[in-house]
Amino acid sequence: MAVLIQGVLGFSATPETVLFIVTAVLALGSALAVVMLRNVVHAALMLVVNLLAIAGLFLGLQSPFLSIIQVLVYGGAIMVLFLFVIMLLGVDRDDLLVTDTTTRVLALAGAAVLSGAILFTFVGPYTSAASLCGTDAGAPTEISDVRCYGLDRAYDRTDGSGAAFLGGALFSRYTYPFELSAVLLTVATIGAVLLARRRDRETSDDDLDDSTTVPADDAREL
Amino acid sequence: MPIGYYFILSGLLFTVGLFGVMIRRNAIVLFMCVELMLNAVNLTLAAAARMWMGPDGQVFVFFVIVVAAAEVVVGLALIVNLYFRRGTLDIDVPSLLRR
Repeated sequence: MAVLIQGVLGFSATPETVLFIVTAVLALGSALAVVMLRNVVHAALMLVVNLLAIAGLFLGLQSPFLSIIQVLVYGGAIMVLFLFVIMLLGVDRDDLLVTDTTTRVLALAGAAVLSGAILFTFVGPYTSAASLCGTDAGAPTEISDVRCYGLDRAYDRTDGSGAAFLGGALFSRYTYPFELSAVLLTVATIGAVLLARRRDRETSDDDLDDSTTVPADDAREL
Repeated sequence: MPIGYYFILSGLLFTVGLFGVMIRRNAIVLFMCVELMLNAVNLTLAAAARMWMGPDGQVFVFFVIVVAAAEVVVGLALIVNLYFRRGTLDIDVPSLLRR
């Protein structure tokens, strides 16, 4: 496999390369499965595969803390929430794909144009052997430099591991956004509790058809 | 691994997510496709952090994950509300605001 990678891509295969290829195939395949599968539960499980593959890519990018966060928050909490809502609503069997041919063709064309633009932008300087990660390429000289320097020397600078490296920035330079994110989480929690609260009387859209003005108690609830 | 391959992969993942948003009508699947796009952007940020050996990209990924968690909580609560009110998750049915 290493020889194959060397022959096709033109640079020597490191463990990171093998990890990247395996997880990239997993991520792309599971992403396509999320979009294509008609069963919602299957799509959600494919999304779990995708999130775990991206956690593996974070490992390859020497971001172990992000990888752990990805597994815990995304693969754990968020996906459990998704599956819980799917089971609660019992909508695992409906398949609401767009059947309009014009929309599908337009969507496919848009996706093709976007991916073509991305490939056009990044294939070239960023994918040559000059932008290999993990090599000691010296200090960055200019902003348009496409070489990848790796985090090793940054680790040396802060004398920390991945989490300490991230935390050092998080609690010094980014303290204010960090506090704001705490406020955001609190607001989101309260908002979700208020939104998901069952009301005594079921209100539906049909109730609003009867009169043009919304009753006072409905207005307060909305 | 040249860093551009990470950018290409995340761009393709973003495109797949966008494609899903365009062709699916189920609100929950739509939400999952938005998560795909958010993850693609996270991958870009982590790759850029590695490329320029700074912590900033990783901090941004951290914040994106926090905001995504909040977004999922509120969004799923809205979807549950929507389902109880309308009885369907089809986002193409005529909406309340359009009347």
